[in-house]
Amino acid sequence: MSAVTERPATPPGPVATRARGSLFRAEAHRFASRRFIQVLLGLALLGWLGAVVIGLLNHGEPTDADLAAATQQRDEFLAAEQEFRQVCEQDAAQAGQPVDQFCGPALTASDVPVQDFLTTAPFDLASAGEAGAIGFAAAAAVLAFLVGATWIGAEWSTRTIVALLFWVPGRLKVIGTKAAVLALAALALGVLAQLGWLAMAWVLDALVGTDDPLPDGFWSGLLGVQARGALLAVLVGLIGFGLANLTRNTGAALGVAFVYFAVVENALRIWDPMADRWLVVANSVALVAPGGFRIFDYSGSTSGVEPASHLLTNLHGGLVVAAFAAVVVGAGTWLFARRDLH
Amino acid sequence: MPAVQMTGVAKTYRGRGGQVLRALDGLDMTVDSGGVHGLLGPNGSGKTTSIRILLGLVRPTAGDVRLLDRPVPADLPRVIGEVGALVETPLFFPGFSGRRNLCLLAETAGVTAARVEECLELVDLRDRADERFKGYSLGMKQRLGIAAALLKAPRLLILDEPSNGLDPAGIRDVRELIRRLGADGHTTVLLSSHLLAEIQQVCDSVTILARGRQVAAGPVSSVLDRAGTGDVRVAVPDPAAAAAVLAGNGFSVSPAPDGQVLVHGAPAPGEITRVLAEHGHYLEELVRVTPDLESAFLAITGERA
Repeated sequence: MSAVTERPATPPGPVATRARGSLFRAEAHRFASRRFIQVLLGLALLGWLGAVVIGLLNHGEPTDADLAAATQQRDEFLAAEQEFRQVCEQDAAQAGQPVDQFCGPALTASDVPVQDFLTTAPFDLASAGEAGAIGFAAAAAVLAFLVGATWIGAEWSTRTIVALLFWVPGRLKVIGTKAAVLALAALALGVLAQLGWLAMAWVLDALVGTDDPLPDGFWSGLLGVQARGALLAVLVGLIGFGLANLTRNTGAALGVAFVYFAVVENALRIWDPMADRWLVVANSVALVAPGGFRIFDYSGSTSGVEPASHLLTNLHGGLVVAAFAAVVVGAGTWLFARRDLH
Repeated sequence: MPAVQMTGVAKTYRGRGGQVLRALDGLDMTVDSGGVHGLLGPNGSGKTTSIRILLGLVRPTAGDVRLLDRPVPADLPRVIGEVGALVETPLFFPGFSGRRNLCLLAETAGVTAARVEECLELVDLRDRADERFKGYSLGMKQRLGIAAALLKAPRLLILDEPSNGLDPAGIRDVRELIRRLGADGHTTVLLSSHLLAEIQQVCDSVTILARGRQVAAGPVSSVLDRAGTGDVRVAVPDPAAAAAVLAGNGFSVSPAPDGQVLVHGAPAPGEITRVLAEHGHYLEELVRVTPDLESAFLAITGERA
């Protein structure tokens, strides 16, 4: 017999075959088995290794020659600043404006450390800690977006999500479980990214770091940024998931995201400079950055006059990004629950 | 208890131009428990839409649907564990192996790994189970789809065109498998097919659809009988003379393709025998012309749709 064997078609009864099923466990295994996701994570690991190597190459104890060159560059910079200030003071006098308001405070050597001009400087965890955490949070968010989009997008491309409904007909349960698996995976990704930053910082600090002690409150501030960075990965992952579920295609979701970030957000900023209060990118930064993110409106400002500004707090940033994720995921879920599936 | 009961089921779609498309138009269908029931109809008759409604993928515009005596889609989660399905093309992840695809589905419902191996063995895919699905031939994909449908050891097995892509030996084996399942006393098989021979060979009963409506239903033999013309083919040594005698006695006759006599709408073949014998024509053969399912299908869908 070529295709179907002569064995009994069914076992004695269905009960004999059954254990306790778990959609969540099956989806978690499906997620972990996805090759594209594995490749993305592998590339992320390679990127981390590359970042460590670049960090090691760009940090180190400066030689006397390095310090002399940096000092000379700093002095040239201050001299140029001094020439500019003299011109500015004349302009201020002509305009009848106070010099400090018109030109800003004068720069002194103490304002411009020589270290800023060193091409090779020791790694300073105190100054780089939060910036690095923000960078790793951004990388994790981008990765989470791709993972979220491909996780559900591939299900639509292959239509395996329809086949899954032959086993679990509750559509909300299916899509909810997939979203939950993604959220947990994105959280793990965000946490891993931050651990990656800590590991990288530890390597750099141990091999090419300064001996300066860390300031008080350093770790609490850094951990706060890292926790919010992990939360950002979850929210952005869900946005990718929601877009791909709406468009039913990974590529289309990436296209929509590109148009939104490259065109729509910029158009809105041109239309209203303070539109950033409600846009995803600015609020993502506001969510993660220590103390939030201040946006400025330069449209009505003149020279010497402080532009209007608005502080996006961590909470505001988190709420806006979460609301965006909820709308995108909710719309896709609503359509999935209502539409006929062919 | 019927395994499937659809009563007055309608499904309409609105086209781009606003026109209403009726996929199902008051469909009634009953599939009794046990055996193999065929769902036969031309393309666009509503077979796949019916199956999608049974599986909760498509919502009917009107009508009642019951699966294993429970209303669908409301109680579908309660009965889905007893239903296996293969609808059109098998849907699996191309990058996963056949075994991995089945294991993930099995894990969803708590089906054991041993049952996965049984089903792979059943469709003769065990040796190729670790290859990626995207490398499978069309027939292997179809067989994996059948294996997935069998994983739950279902009470109701819904197969939509299961022979698609199979080679002749594969088709024969799948039909044999379906027959065995239908006869096991546990499984009811609902088999949708456009292959008339498949329905005739495999099914105990059949529902014929045309334009979203049922146009015939019942045991296959009964449907054939109902579609029959009542014609009788008469073989005698002198067909022309016998035809003249029969015509003279009120029978409607015409030449048969083989040169013999075809008597149309004959209510009692014994009367033909008597009349011909009285006139000295002795029968060599008298056969009621039985239509095959193809003829019945064309007759039913052509005349009554």
